[in-house]
Amino acid sequence: MHIYANPKRFLSLAKWLTPLFLWSGILVTALSIGWGLTQVPPDRLMGESVRILFVHVPSAWLGMGGWTGIAIASAALLIWKHPLASVAARAIALPGMVFTAICLATGSIWGRPTWGTWWVWDGRLTSMLVLLFLYAGYIALSQATAREGGAPKIAAIFGLVGAVNIPIINRSVVWWNSLHQPPSITAGKSAIDSVFLVPLFVAVLGFTLLFAAIVLMRMRALIAEQQVEARLRRRALDDDMPVATSRLENA
Amino acid sequence: MREALDHWDFVIAAYAVGLGGLALLTAWSWQTMRHAERRRDEVKRR
Amino acid sequence: MSGSVPMKAKHQRMALVIVALIAIVAAGLIATWALRNQANYFYLPEQIAAEPPAVGQAVRLGGMVQPGSLETEADGVTVAFVVTGNEASSVPVRYSGILPDLFVEGSGVVAEGSLQADGTFLATNLLAKHDENYVPKELEGLEGHRAADSVAETTVGLD
Repeated sequence: MHIYANPKRFLSLAKWLTPLFLWSGILVTALSIGWGLTQVPPDRLMGESVRILFVHVPSAWLGMGGWTGIAIASAALLIWKHPLASVAARAIALPGMVFTAICLATGSIWGRPTWGTWWVWDGRLTSMLVLLFLYAGYIALSQATAREGGAPKIAAIFGLVGAVNIPIINRSVVWWNSLHQPPSITAGKSAIDSVFLVPLFVAVLGFTLLFAAIVLMRMRALIAEQQVEARLRRRALDDDMPVATSRLENA
Repeated sequence: MREALDHWDFVIAAYAVGLGGLALLTAWSWQTMRHAERRRDEVKRR
Repeated sequence: MSGSVPMKAKHQRMALVIVALIAIVAAGLIATWALRNQANYFYLPEQIAAEPPAVGQAVRLGGMVQPGSLETEADGVTVAFVVTGNEASSVPVRYSGILPDLFVEGSGVVAEGSLQADGTFLATNLLAKHDENYVPKELEGLEGHRAADSVAETTVGLD
């Protein structure tokens, strides 16, 4: 459990994995985009706009997957006090928020030619917008606690509480009448023809690899910042400068 | 009376938003990581 | 370090987190359950029939455009069609304006507007509801019958 909790061990692994995920992610995403734009036939009803599927759906899944990751990291932080868990949760928040925003933006662009509207306040769209605001709140809270030296516990509790929105997003189209259609892909069944489904999975793989690469890069940046801070603090104490020392201790 | 919009305009807009956002996020994450790790190495050396 | 005391504390924290998670999820489920009827984006024809809204009151009506019911009137902009819910219930709708591209017979629709005194629904805005099926154009003939069935499956309470 604690093998990778050690930042040194994590860093040596991350140095190796970051370029691997990054380049394979760029490659697979480029492949899926080319596939989606040129090789896929138009849909029976939606016509050419069906191609938005390959950007919209992976972003939606990763936006929700991101918060699931934050919730898992938050639980690990609260239960095992895993030293990397708080770094991981903070690293996931920004890409999760960007993917959620991409999902909302592309969904809106998709809604206009198909449904006939940019936006409606139905259960699915509203709960997804709530997720975007939850990300914004989480980022603000975790930044504030990290900067002021507050307990990361507060952000972790927020990460767990916010997770209740994930099943609501997922079930919103089943529980309530909504303009958004119900899930096309449910356990073992798909209402998406394979000419769309195969490139969709390629796009999901590409986006996921990029997401993983971004999380690793964010984690490395956050760890490096912590190391700099720790070193400067130690040096200030060693320098035998009573003014600096007392200022740091009071901070 | 049909709306008859050109769906390609919307496809291109959606791809531009999605891929543009993704490219910006990736580039920014890379840059902040490089910057933070370089600064750490400098501080360590001193 | 690895005595029994820190182990106990860890288990205590785990139990606390699990209890908290259960409480949060339960609270969320109860809240959404309470919202069950409030959060519906539209009413089905049978809901309109059972509890008719006041004449002129703004509501949303959702259902399936009955195949064969779509007619364009002489002015070329006004369309009349029937929205069906379950077998027995249906509401006639009139609408003047631009139709979204996905608005076709046998597909889902959400109409914003109000009920008139004569029982027709005068729509001020039409939204097309897509179903969860993604089928390329070439296969259209094969899947035509499924499109109608799927609308019934994609709307809550429409059996």
